[in-house]
Amino acid sequence: MTPEPFLALATLLFCLGLVGIVSRRNLFVVYMSAELMLTSVSLMLATFARVLGSGDGAAMVLLMIAVIAAEAALFLAIIIQLHRGRKTLDSDAFAVLAQRDEEGRDA
Amino acid sequence: MLENSLFAVLALIMLGGAVAMVYLRQTLYGAFGFLCAMLAMAGLFALLENGFLFLAQIMVAVGAVVVLSLMVIVSVNAKDENLPHEPYKLRWILFSAALTLPFGILLYRTLVHLHRGFAESTEGFGSLQAVGASLFQQWVLPFEIVSVLLLAAMLGAIVIARKEQP
Repeated sequence: MTPEPFLALATLLFCLGLVGIVSRRNLFVVYMSAELMLTSVSLMLATFARVLGSGDGAAMVLLMIAVIAAEAALFLAIIIQLHRGRKTLDSDAFAVLAQRDEEGRDA
Repeated sequence: MLENSLFAVLALIMLGGAVAMVYLRQTLYGAFGFLCAMLAMAGLFALLENGFLFLAQIMVAVGAVVVLSLMVIVSVNAKDENLPHEPYKLRWILFSAALTLPFGILLYRTLVHLHRGFAESTEGFGSLQAVGASLFQQWVLPFEIVSVLLLAAMLGAIVIARKEQP
């Protein structure tokens, strides 16, 4: 087996995650897409660990899995908090930082 | 040959799960796609002869992260009218895919440029002993930083998700 299929799959997954983040408005889908991008990076790391034949890549992937777990906990807590306030999962409803007024114009 | 067919099956499961996650409207079905993708990723780690990462992926990513996501999705229990109204979803997905395509090609060509083919399989590669030795010799400081990060994330999650005190 050669590394190319693994790298191609990791690239495809990264792009799919990017597409999900950009094009969907459901907060959970945005969260899972971010997770998918992080996981595709750990697939790249694992592939290169196999290419180099060293244990360092596995250690890095392990640390990344821990970072993914931390990110998941925080992201889910934020989703719960947002949903409690507005009762919606639409990311467009949380555009307070965009500083729009009621008609949607930029302030 | 067996490796190639295993890779094809795992890649199909993974891409199918990812596409379902990005496309499906109901969050819970999307989360099941996410679960499939994470399980297939564990299989790919095993295919890369990394038994330890296979176990870690199953235990942490599937056992903790995905199950936590499913629990949150079920407990939020969004009604259909609370989901975002996305009439042009497919158009947006295709448009952003077209925008992402050049970047994907660039990324793939860069990655392929870096590789030299798989190294000869050495004794004990990917075993718990090898990973542990590397983790506690070269990677001690990042390991400790990650433990602090996990503690901070735990506290932050509790504080953020807590109900406001009256």
